[in-house]
Amino acid sequence: MDPRTLLKGLHPLEIKVLLSFKPGDSLDSSRLQSQLGYVEGQANQAQAWLSAKGLAAETGRVSSAVYELTPLGRTWLESGTPEQRMVAYLAKGPAAMPDICKALGMEQKDAGSAYGRLAREGVLSMGQDKLVALADAGKDRRSAAVNALLAKADAAGGTLEDGMLSDGERALMGELAKKRGSGDAAFRAADRETVTWSLLDPAAELAELLRTEGVSGDEAGALTQAMLESGAWKTLSFRSYNIRSRPARLIPGRRNPYMQFLESVKDKLVSLGFEEFDGSMVETEFWNGDALFMPQFHSARDIHDVYYLAEPTKAKSIEEPFLSRVASAHENGGTTGSRGWGYGFDRDFTRRLVLRSQGTVLSARKLPTASVPGKYFGMARCFRYDKVDATHLSDFYQTEGIVLGEDVNLRTLLGFLEMFAVEVAGAKEVKYVPGYFPFTEPSIEVHIKHPVLGWFEMGGAGIFRPEVTEPLGVSVPVLAWGLGIDRIALMALGLNDIRELFSADIESVRLRRAQLA
Amino acid sequence: MPKIEVNEKLFFQLVGRSMAEAELELALTAAKAELDGFGTDGEGPAAERTIKIELNDTNRPDLWSTAGLARQLRVYSGGGMPQYPFFSSEGDKRQSEYRAVVDASVKDVRPYLAAFVISGKPISDAMLKDAIQTQEKLCANFGRKRKSVSMGLYRIELIKWPVSYKAVPPESAKFKPLGMDRELDLRSILSEHPKGKEYGHIIAGFPRFPLLTGADGGILSMAPVINSNDIGAVQVGDKDLLVEFTGTDFPSVALSANIVACDFFDAGYDIKPVAVDYPYDTPFGRSVTFPYYFQAPASVDSGKVSKLLGMSFSPDAVVAALSRMGVEAEAHGQYVRARTPEYRNDFLHQVDLVEDAMIGRGMDQFTPERPRDFTIGRLHPVELFTRRAKDVMVGMGYQEMVYAYLGSRRDYVERMNADGSDVLRVSNPMTENFELVRPSILPELLNSESVSSKAPYPHRIFEAGKVAFRDAKENYGASTRQRLGLLTCHAQADYNELAGVVSALLYYLGHDYSVTESDDPRFMAGRQARVVAGGKDVGVFGELNPQVLENWGITMPCAAGELDLEALM
Repeated sequence: MDPRTLLKGLHPLEIKVLLSFKPGDSLDSSRLQSQLGYVEGQANQAQAWLSAKGLAAETGRVSSAVYELTPLGRTWLESGTPEQRMVAYLAKGPAAMPDICKALGMEQKDAGSAYGRLAREGVLSMGQDKLVALADAGKDRRSAAVNALLAKADAAGGTLEDGMLSDGERALMGELAKKRGSGDAAFRAADRETVTWSLLDPAAELAELLRTEGVSGDEAGALTQAMLESGAWKTLSFRSYNIRSRPARLIPGRRNPYMQFLESVKDKLVSLGFEEFDGSMVETEFWNGDALFMPQFHSARDIHDVYYLAEPTKAKSIEEPFLSRVASAHENGGTTGSRGWGYGFDRDFTRRLVLRSQGTVLSARKLPTASVPGKYFGMARCFRYDKVDATHLSDFYQTEGIVLGEDVNLRTLLGFLEMFAVEVAGAKEVKYVPGYFPFTEPSIEVHIKHPVLGWFEMGGAGIFRPEVTEPLGVSVPVLAWGLGIDRIALMALGLNDIRELFSADIESVRLRRAQLA
Repeated sequence: MPKIEVNEKLFFQLVGRSMAEAELELALTAAKAELDGFGTDGEGPAAERTIKIELNDTNRPDLWSTAGLARQLRVYSGGGMPQYPFFSSEGDKRQSEYRAVVDASVKDVRPYLAAFVISGKPISDAMLKDAIQTQEKLCANFGRKRKSVSMGLYRIELIKWPVSYKAVPPESAKFKPLGMDRELDLRSILSEHPKGKEYGHIIAGFPRFPLLTGADGGILSMAPVINSNDIGAVQVGDKDLLVEFTGTDFPSVALSANIVACDFFDAGYDIKPVAVDYPYDTPFGRSVTFPYYFQAPASVDSGKVSKLLGMSFSPDAVVAALSRMGVEAEAHGQYVRARTPEYRNDFLHQVDLVEDAMIGRGMDQFTPERPRDFTIGRLHPVELFTRRAKDVMVGMGYQEMVYAYLGSRRDYVERMNADGSDVLRVSNPMTENFELVRPSILPELLNSESVSSKAPYPHRIFEAGKVAFRDAKENYGASTRQRLGLLTCHAQADYNELAGVVSALLYYLGHDYSVTESDDPRFMAGRQARVVAGGKDVGVFGELNPQVLENWGITMPCAAGELDLEALM
């Protein structure tokens, strides 16, 4: 690599090595520590980075033993070795082994091996009575040596290198240290490799360049507030950063892409002159079905389609005059011009509470206070008795709306649906087929063509039946429409499982990218 | 919405010609039907293939059979108006060689009976399958799971006339029900036969059960539950079948009979009437000969058609469009008077004829028109306020979440250390996982934590959405509110962090607030506060109780809160 390019990427740790040593000098971690004041980690980094740049190479590797103080070793350091504690205890008089263990909180095998060692040295003895007695405390020289070794290790930061040990200490260490299973040993023995390395020839050229450029490795890192206040920055030189290093992961605050999509639909509808409505998630059979002219025995109203509330089970009352008018519409048409369904309307059943199963409920509820002309919409969470899978949820959003006007008609409805198809779903092709909904007549379904997925149903629409509008006080035609918004959202977000829209998984929501138009 | 299977050969034979998939799909739109499966059962001959079709119109049970659906397609494509000469009507009774007598004992149990005889040729495999399918679909959807209409088929050669329809004590009669070779009394059938278990509840509460018998006492069936295993066991090749309908709603019973009679007539069978004598008054008199044309004519103002469809329809144009739908009509001034077809009874209002005129004219004839009325669009005030709150939350580093609104007692109550007294419960949950409406957003936020321990920390999440709970003051005994739930989860998450967030949020929402002591068991004692703004309690926040965290399997400290956005507006 070109030396100048190389130079820009050098870290101060590398620069100082390049300026301090010549190719061929034998380097190792301890030399860098003593001569450049590096800590061990910095020394190793300098070597690794220089080697990666082809400026240094390993020349040798020496393995030597090191001994690290274990937690047990530290306990001994604080409260004495088992031998010392046993000797101290027996100074108060002879005792049986089990009592010694109990008093000192030792395991029998540890106490046994301590006794064995002390008995061999003639420190302890056991009489006929099986009591252990102190024979000659002065003969316990080993404990003092062990203590000295523990203290030496502690003073050296917990680790002793083999080179730091005398022959006597090395022999004792052999008894105290274990390589594996060091939980019951005072020291853990390990091998440490010392790597020797040296700079390669290109390093000399680079060092020359550094000198020419006046780069010392002492360049400032961060521009600090103090430098700005004092003006020190004027005389400092600042090191270049490696601009290609990977940036840290940032976790920003963020909107949910699905909700953003829903809001974008709301904004589109508002821009088309629609006013938003909202309402209770708990509804009565009256508004959820009866007001929509669905006969009380309609199959979409039974236990396998709608969720009933267990408690409370019924509304206290239903608003008049709507209740009486809707009841007549069902029974004989009332004043709606219909012959009705011809059955006895159940005024008790109509108070039963359900979880709103269709957004049209809110459209019906809006009718009594709606203006003419008027356009209204709602995005309502609805509840259905459905098995949850990739295309069904037990609760989901429905987007529904109404248009009231003296002169609105089927073709105006198609006009709205075409606008939704283009503006909301981004469709290029739209087609309409006859449909069926209990509350609209005529009814149609809207199909749109997705560039990849082909034709699919965007929603349903129609003109509210007079049996719906008249009892609620509306005598002009009312266009009613609903969009399968979750399905359109899946396409907009590039997902194919509706459950993902309501995902609880924080990371998947964080990383999701919206593909909004 | 019913889904049916039709025999491909029989279907196209009745339509008048074969169609390819795309053509059939288009043609079906005139019947509000969708192709559900075509050519999916292999390469065999058409006589062995079936087409699966979904019917969307629950008011058109005449379309739920092979012949009925084929009729709509045939007529729509110019196949001519079908004629059914076998119908009796008020003041015009057909001669009948068969008679059935209704006993007064069924009046309060299942009062209506309609019947006719199929004759002329042996019943084919395809038509028998279709009749069984009709029996299922018609009686399940239109007949409200046999409650208001049920249907039976019988072998005439074993019947002694007149047939009698009466209600008898359940222990007084026994017969071999279809599919069984031992005799059971009527009550035992309800507990031992699969159909008895399925439909027995319709009659179980009555002291007497409805029974159809021949003049010799031979049992045809126990309506609406099960046929007998001899007279009621119809097989391919049987000639001359009795078709019978019983039920609680006379127009529905009569219409069902009409539909099946028209279907068999279209398929080339003769229909022979059955005279039924009632000892009590019925909407159609005491002596009714079936099939019986009872439907009233309907009429529509051609001006109304033009106004609702946004296209000019002369009275003659309405007549033409209706005739394409199989509805005979004639113009009287600007009105059009339509004869309801024998197999339909769905003209409740003028608008029902308007829709038939729309389909008859053809959807492709209607071009979209831009609306002209000017109205001002507006977001709901709650939505506007919620958006303000969400913007502030995002600015403070919170990720917005969107959650489901139904959950389990375990998640919403037990794991939250809550007593659940304010929770709305569903009485017919699909599973216990969707039994409660969420009373709070916090369980959903904790659920997120419980599944996201591998996501890099810190986690700062929120949701603005609805909750609902019991509220005795309300007419519905329940309230729906818009709330904001927020949660921070990382090694240093604590009360103070959240206190700072709540403070900033309320500042930007324009509120001074104060905090008061709180003893919500979801949070740690002494590390939680109620938020009071404008004299109202608007929410709570604090460090989550470690017991709650343990309940959710969360091992990272969490602080969370919930504010009532509507109370802050």
